Amino acid sequence: MPTEALRADDVRKVYRPRSGPAVEALSGVSLRIGAGERVGLLGRNGAGKTTFLKIASTLLAPTSGEVTVFGHSVDRDPERVRPLIAVVPQEGKPFFHLTPREQVVTYLRARGLSRETARERSERALAQMGLGEVADRLSITLSGGQKQRTMVATVIATEAPLLFLDEPTIGMDPFARREVWEALRRLTRMGSTILLTTHYLDEAEALSERLYVLERGRVLVEGTAESLKREAGGTLRVSIPDGRRLLETLRSFGPSVADGTTLHVVTEPARLSEILAIAVRERLSPTVGPVTLEEAFLRTVGHSIDEE
Amino acid sequence: MRSDGPPAPRSWGLHLQGFGAFFETELRVQLHEGVAIVTSIVVQVVLLVFVAILAPRLWSVAILGALVFSFFTLGQRVLNEAAYIRVDHKLNQLYLASPLTPESYFLGLSSGILVAYLAPIAALGVVAAVTVPPSPLLLVLVPVAGLAVWLFSASLGYVLSTRFRDMRAIWSYASLLYNGFGVLPPVFYPIGLVPAAARPLALLLPPSAAAALLQWVVHSAALSAAELALAAGALGGETVLLFALAVIWARRTVRED
Repeated sequence: MPTEALRADDVRKVYRPRSGPAVEALSGVSLRIGAGERVGLLGRNGAGKTTFLKIASTLLAPTSGEVTVFGHSVDRDPERVRPLIAVVPQEGKPFFHLTPREQVVTYLRARGLSRETARERSERALAQMGLGEVADRLSITLSGGQKQRTMVATVIATEAPLLFLDEPTIGMDPFARREVWEALRRLTRMGSTILLTTHYLDEAEALSERLYVLERGRVLVEGTAESLKREAGGTLRVSIPDGRRLLETLRSFGPSVADGTTLHVVTEPARLSEILAIAVRERLSPTVGPVTLEEAFLRTVGHSIDEE
Repeated sequence: MRSDGPPAPRSWGLHLQGFGAFFETELRVQLHEGVAIVTSIVVQVVLLVFVAILAPRLWSVAILGALVFSFFTLGQRVLNEAAYIRVDHKLNQLYLASPLTPESYFLGLSSGILVAYLAPIAALGVVAAVTVPPSPLLLVLVPVAGLAVWLFSASLGYVLSTRFRDMRAIWSYASLLYNGFGVLPPVFYPIGLVPAAARPLALLLPPSAAAALLQWVVHSAALSAAELALAAGALGGETVLLFALAVIWARRTVRED
């Protein structure tokens, strides 16, 4: 197996609706993912994450550029790519009239696995996802989070060399999310490669060995969560609710971004007391914390990740 | 560097990797919807009651038509199910980005629906066997024509399902299509009642072509040799053509443009 799991070179995608103007969803995305890596595509809604994942998983034709999976072109040789990948679609739901156990087993069987292997792997995946107790209930009776965990279990049970997960923990409670994270870490330890999209910054930080930040169809920056945070311009974040009016005043203290009415200033400890004094003088209540990926994202993109 | 992957399928011929498993999947899904299966022949039964009351001499035509119609309406279920899986559950992405071939997906889905709905069709078949004088030709032609109509309508349903982005939009089109193809043409009534000028058109539609052939076998329709050939040719030819189109279409639409 090649050491490069996925390679994308200058991928562009232009949607041309029957009415209305063409929309460029990807504007020359290039990225590399090594075998066994866990990589996150981070971006706001509409940044192009899902479009890229669809192209990489052979389900959408790029307008130009090339994506290869373990050396096979997704465009010219999709039949060779498909056995090597498995996809959790965004907002995908299991068959409502199958149980989670039936869903996982029948999917593995459709991929060509023997009944015995399918059963064995499904038991393991269902247990990892904490679905043991509901494994024989019809999916229609499960909560949204349990349905989503069923989708993740279905895909991780494949143990495919490259897994694509589009917002895999959406709708899950914090405990379930951590179970998914642990299962994904375990898979990469076993040799699988994972590309996930997320707009949960904590998930991106906890799970991704490397991150690509996408904005308006372009890769703005690539690196580890730590390297992105270093680029935020300081080690501390001061958040000042209703402090937008201080944007010009505080800009000299470090990178400052207004997110709605809240002003965020990234700075060094040496300048903290001055900022706090200014904020208190204006009768505002600042909070201080270590720089997080959120500040790095704001600094890089210029918008909060939740901003539409 | 390229890895040693499985051989890429050739372009021609059917590639049925995963068919059995996806058929089993769809069958399990459908069998959970017992009410839908039982009520799938309500329209047919109602029409049969009307015929029994109003024109009992047309019973043979109506019961054989009910069988044809039952196979035909399975295409409507394929249309709804394929669109539902794609639009609402997005499961097509899970299954099609995998070694399961597109034709296995289409055929597994269609066959699962066929087998799940066979019981009520068989019930109509039993009624037909009891009330219509049997003949060897009829015993052969009913399942052959029924399966041809199923394959035609399943292919049509699958191809159409890929064109919709909204489930609500499907309902009105599905109703129009299946009433237009299945109720309006001479499926439940004798082809002989159709004006001579319109008969070739009726014989070109697979459901009414199948019904006309069955009517001819039970002596409820007098068809010329040319009309027989037209009906048989239309049923066989259009089924093969539409099935081939559906397979090609299934392969093409795995990937959106």
